[in-house]
Amino acid sequence: MNQRVAPYLFVLPNMLIFGVFIIYPALNNFNISLYDSTNGRTFRYVGGANYQELVDNADFWSAARATVVFVVCFVVLVTVASIGLAVLLDQRIRGRGVFRAIFFLPVLLSPVVVGLVWGWIFDRNNGLANTVLRGIGLGQPGWLVDGTLATVVVIFVGVWTHVGFYTMIMLAGLQGIDPTYHEAAMIDGASRWQRFRSVTLPLLRPTTMVVVILSMITGFQAFDFIWTLTGGGPVGATTLIVQYIYMHAFQSPIRYGLASAGSVILFCTIFGLTAINFLYNRRRSAA
Amino acid sequence: MTASQTRARTDRGGARQTSTWTSAGGGRPPATGRVLTYALLVALSILVLAPVVWAALSSFKTQTELAQRPPALLPHSLSTANYSGALQSFHFTTYLKNSVLVTVGATVLTLAINTMAAYGLAKYNFRGRNFLFLVTLGTIMIPLQIILIPVYQVAASLHLVNSLWGLIIPPAATPTGVFLLRQYMLGLPDDLIEAARIDGAGEFRIFLRVIVPLCGAPIAVLTIFSVIWRWNDFLWPLIISQDQDKYTLPVALAQFNSELVVPFNYILAMSVVSMLPVVIIFLVLQRHIVRGIANTGLR
Repeated sequence: MNQRVAPYLFVLPNMLIFGVFIIYPALNNFNISLYDSTNGRTFRYVGGANYQELVDNADFWSAARATVVFVVCFVVLVTVASIGLAVLLDQRIRGRGVFRAIFFLPVLLSPVVVGLVWGWIFDRNNGLANTVLRGIGLGQPGWLVDGTLATVVVIFVGVWTHVGFYTMIMLAGLQGIDPTYHEAAMIDGASRWQRFRSVTLPLLRPTTMVVVILSMITGFQAFDFIWTLTGGGPVGATTLIVQYIYMHAFQSPIRYGLASAGSVILFCTIFGLTAINFLYNRRRSAA
Repeated sequence: MTASQTRARTDRGGARQTSTWTSAGGGRPPATGRVLTYALLVALSILVLAPVVWAALSSFKTQTELAQRPPALLPHSLSTANYSGALQSFHFTTYLKNSVLVTVGATVLTLAINTMAAYGLAKYNFRGRNFLFLVTLGTIMIPLQIILIPVYQVAASLHLVNSLWGLIIPPAATPTGVFLLRQYMLGLPDDLIEAARIDGAGEFRIFLRVIVPLCGAPIAVLTIFSVIWRWNDFLWPLIISQDQDKYTLPVALAQFNSELVVPFNYILAMSVVSMLPVVIIFLVLQRHIVRGIANTGLR
């Protein structure tokens, strides 16, 4: 094989798949969002009508609202919990490796199964959660029947699934902090809390930013575990934007263009927020 | 304490080891703090493990036992009736077989094309190299969720819908894998390649015989990742496998769970089957997985 041609042949198979199954579809998405199609075969150009329809559509706003609520709660809880867990796990305690492994396990489980099992646990009459609550005399709330409670459950299961992953990132960040800062603070007589506030947190800032961005992107993509946990219900209370897109694209009545317009909006949101987050943090660390 | 101290130090990797290392928390916490830490960690561990253990235990229960109020903690017997029942009467063998085929096929393909692409990007100077690397990183920003419709159309026009190839080929090119392997290969000395060229070895032979054997560690990490990704995949198989005989295990579980056709004791047994390989892989290879994630920040 010629040394000049070789690199192109090496990268070709991978780049071909990227091109065909990621790049081209990503560009084509904007295009499809300008058409209307109810069968995926015939397309009628409608310009911005799909976007107009989304803006006027109550279900879209409901999904958008549910997504924002989920993402905000998810990002905040996951960030705070992963800092807390990482600090706990960074101490020199016996069995730390085992705890780390346990917290990480849910990250690897099938989201479909995670949603299914939690859905069964939160079942109103026969679930483990209400069995425990009844046992201590707290009644039996309809976790998946009430819209607000279902949202709480979805957020909880989301955090349960993902927090181990972000804890690993935070832990790596903590271990990258030069111990001399802590030593200096200790010599100055700072308490553990003071050291956490004025040494750990500021120096963990870059890592925290990574966790915020990554968890935000993950949050906006949430779909699979919710699908088996609540199915998006009750009455659409936990239908997030990805499920909205999926339903309009693959369940009748099919509205390809409308679903595409929804995913263009999702893309711009994720991209925009990542950019803002990145720029904001760069400005702050420069100042 | 010495054992766990050495473990703690090896955990951190070779580069940053110093004998005076103290953790960010300030080393060993005071006695009361330590009790509190343990109490918290144990409570949270229970919260994490409870659903998994509960599902595993309950997968041996009969339908009557599952309906019992309050439920018994342990099953009446360790009967595998749910497992054999699900496999025999609801085609779960087919779904299991599809899942295994897709996982193995896609992982083999991923390893092949990702190592090749990584090698091309890491060890050659060619026009467009930086652009292609940037494209690779850029694709991380484009999750399947936002290109669902156009990518489905591409798959449909290539006749990949309702075909296991449709589940194997498109997800095989992973930006994470290319990135991970490229970073590792950058650290390999160019002299190795030059020496092999002087010996008259062809470009592909150098890649296969010199580079690949040196990449054991990242290839192992990518293998673990890929197996877990493909085994757990849901959204893509959900839109590609529309015929029942092409379902993978997660798709079958999700569809049957909502339809209430398959009894829940069977669903539960198959959920445990779906968790089992991942749990085993994790127990055996936990260290590699955590290190891989720490190195790339991706999963």
